[in-house]
Amino acid sequence: MTGPDAGMDRPGAGRTCAWNRIATWRAAALLLLLPAAPRAQGLAVPPPPRVADRPNDNGRALVLAWDVPDGAPPGLLALLERRDGSGIRDTLQAVPALEPGAAERKGSFTDERGPRAGGSYAYRIAWLARGDTLWSDWSEASEPSIQWFNAERVSVAAATLLFSGILIGFVAAARRGATLFIRKIPGLEAVEEAVGRATEMGRPILYSPGLDPMEEVSTVASISILGQVARKAAEYETRLMVPNRDPIVMAVAQEVVRDAHAEAGRPDTYRADDIFYTTYSQFGYAAAVCGIMMREKPATNFFIGKFYAESLILAETGNATGAIQIAGTDSDSQLPFFITSCDYTLIGEELYAGSVYLSREPLLLGALKGQDAARVIILAVLVAASLLLALGVYDLRPYLD
Amino acid sequence: MAARTHGGPAGKGTFWTAMMSVDRRIIFACVALSVALPLIFPLGLPVTPARESNDFFQEIEKLAEGDVMLFSFDYEPDTMAELDPMSIAVWKHAFRRGVRIIAVTMYAGGVGVAEGIMKEAAESAGKTYGEDYVFLGYNPDWSGTMLRLGESIKATYPNDQYGVDSGTFPILKNVDSYRDIRLLVSISASALSEYWAIWAGGNYGQRMISGNTAVQAVMIYPYYQTGQMSGFLGGLKGAAEYEFLVNEKGAGIRGMDAQSTAHGLMVLFILLGNVGYVMNRRRTRHE
Amino acid sequence: MKRTGPVVFGSLIGMVMLLQYFSPHPALLDGYNLILDMKQVVFGMTLILGIVSLVRYHASKLKRKESGWFYSLAAISGLAAMSGSSIIWGTERGFYPWAFDNIQAPMQATMFSLLAFYVASASYRAFRVRSFHAGLLLAAGVIVMLGRVPLGELIAVEFGGHRYALPQLSSWILDVPNLAAKRGILVGVGLGMVATALKILLGIERSYLGKGA
Repeated sequence: MTGPDAGMDRPGAGRTCAWNRIATWRAAALLLLLPAAPRAQGLAVPPPPRVADRPNDNGRALVLAWDVPDGAPPGLLALLERRDGSGIRDTLQAVPALEPGAAERKGSFTDERGPRAGGSYAYRIAWLARGDTLWSDWSEASEPSIQWFNAERVSVAAATLLFSGILIGFVAAARRGATLFIRKIPGLEAVEEAVGRATEMGRPILYSPGLDPMEEVSTVASISILGQVARKAAEYETRLMVPNRDPIVMAVAQEVVRDAHAEAGRPDTYRADDIFYTTYSQFGYAAAVCGIMMREKPATNFFIGKFYAESLILAETGNATGAIQIAGTDSDSQLPFFITSCDYTLIGEELYAGSVYLSREPLLLGALKGQDAARVIILAVLVAASLLLALGVYDLRPYLD
Repeated sequence: MAARTHGGPAGKGTFWTAMMSVDRRIIFACVALSVALPLIFPLGLPVTPARESNDFFQEIEKLAEGDVMLFSFDYEPDTMAELDPMSIAVWKHAFRRGVRIIAVTMYAGGVGVAEGIMKEAAESAGKTYGEDYVFLGYNPDWSGTMLRLGESIKATYPNDQYGVDSGTFPILKNVDSYRDIRLLVSISASALSEYWAIWAGGNYGQRMISGNTAVQAVMIYPYYQTGQMSGFLGGLKGAAEYEFLVNEKGAGIRGMDAQSTAHGLMVLFILLGNVGYVMNRRRTRHE
Repeated sequence: MKRTGPVVFGSLIGMVMLLQYFSPHPALLDGYNLILDMKQVVFGMTLILGIVSLVRYHASKLKRKESGWFYSLAAISGLAAMSGSSIIWGTERGFYPWAFDNIQAPMQATMFSLLAFYVASASYRAFRVRSFHAGLLLAAGVIVMLGRVPLGELIAVEFGGHRYALPQLSSWILDVPNLAAKRGILVGVGLGMVATALKILLGIERSYLGKGA
């Protein structure tokens, strides 16, 4: 976690939220409003709370901890007060003295509204009971500090570095001219055939880049494939229609298709109006695309990207018009619908491999192989960890969390 | 693996071939009747809550009076029939427990959906806008919103849906980020529930539950199993189970009879097609 | 510069977001919040882009009286009426809520309801026992379809003093084999996402800038 919540223990979060500045006189009123509050008779004056900097945060919190005496009645409340370096005091929230469900007789509170890095703060605690407020002495002054690194995320950092290293290694190998094998993917082999079919029939190609915005990886992958398809369509002078659900995706698609036409030596055949925005509504988009398919009768449909419930409507409508259909999505809940209604389906990562496969660009190929290598490592770690755990030898889960 | 996929071949002439190539219009008509008739003549089939629906219910039961819930209407009118029963049941349950609700939506069409639900729930519970609930409205940048809410709600939504300064609402007085929110509820027809789990849950540790369409609910199991989501409702059945648990008979329970007969009919057609397929294959082998 | 600038800018922004995940330092947090605010502004502007594109597309169809021009007129009229109404009267009264309740909601619900019919005809056509695996898939599909509705509760066996109903088998299928397969796909897809994100950060993936990048 980052920000003020970094290092915060979520189960205790309810105790830190919605705190109010309660002046001492209001605390006294609180005592009168607590008819069920136990008497503090028999309880000793509490020792000062233990104060520590909250780890892995931006220096805006201190953690208070205390022990609850054995004779303390259930429902005992603890009132906390803070004093900063210049002597200004704030009375904090009254909290249950004992952590709910705790095995030991301990309580804690995270003060994240007042402390700031560079300041020093002391605290004291009082057992809050009807007629009695037993205040402790002030604790030693503590200073919250800023951490540069969130140690709770070290495993993620290690994995990121490892994966990046593998990726860069394979990209470097590709740059040096290493031969990297990639298996046949029938759906992508059929792209040329599909574009050629549309050219022969004199009908357009429809390309749907999915419903997700540009920041989604499936959309990036789809736009990469669109570039390849657009280039082939431009070479054959076949009309390519790209209806979009997201305006940013539309803008990117227009750039990509225009450049594809220029690269194919046909900049004059580019039609910006063929790459257009429809609506942000999911089924409005499905209705728009179905309408286009019924009216324009494209010979080839590409459904490449992220799709949701509308996938079957799109695929069935396209099937009914007799178009050849190539689909590709990483939404595995929609894959069955595409598989039943489309001629070729790219499943999961085959979508990400699409642009690499079609362009055969060495750098991208290297990155794809790096991905495969990382997958093998993850598989090995999973199998090893599962075996170790199953045999009762060692539990690797804390390191993988 | 990518596969070249097609529907099966259609032949002519024999009874078995006819059985495996029933005209789709007949199928459509039968589906329409199987859904309509039980709605007119209810069967009263029993509803038994599943584990995940129970957990969803318990998460809201654990909330205390005054706690704040963030509720996201992540759907539009197209999935209202499946998700509205969940939403209205959650709002009524929450209001009954004295929970305060901050509502948002990530879809433009979600505004109308949200207003209908809020109005019905607030009127039935006698709740006041601004004190017991507030609607911060639609924000098109959902990924940025999910992250930004972890830092400051008021910075993300300076005004509510109706243009009123967020800082003036009593409900938002001491509530400004996920750390002040006890529970996040996402009712979604898309992958937005998963994104809430990844960004609000993964980045900020926000506890959450979700309600999803039946197709999307299948994706939620991994998150539920790992504890990233504490419970979820799957489809209209999930809505019916939740209505059963909160004792509010609504569209979910009413729809169960229709869903049962529709599923039964689909299974019947599938079996019919397969009987025709197997018998036809035997016939051609003999020939 | 036209190609390098966006790549460098994208990499810098991406690095800040990536580093911020690992570091709670206030300087990075401020950068993170600034980027999120910028993203919201940019997103708002692109909606305008989308509206302009929509109007241009349909206006050109109307101007040339191409086939289906009536639908373009309906699209532009709807856009003008809904946005105009919400600007003048807001979303709580006037034409907007009436159109939402009586036009938009029923039309969208109708589109979604088509799925029920399409699923029925597609599953009838596709669920054929062509092989052992197809048979297994069929059996699992039938169990889950019946197990997920109250009708499944009525299909049960008594064994060893316990009642085992179809929903329990359906839950097991969803909780165990389905979950295992989903998790495998999720891990693979997640790796693909990380790889693509790294490629964009490192400037290897530039397809979003156009083919010439």
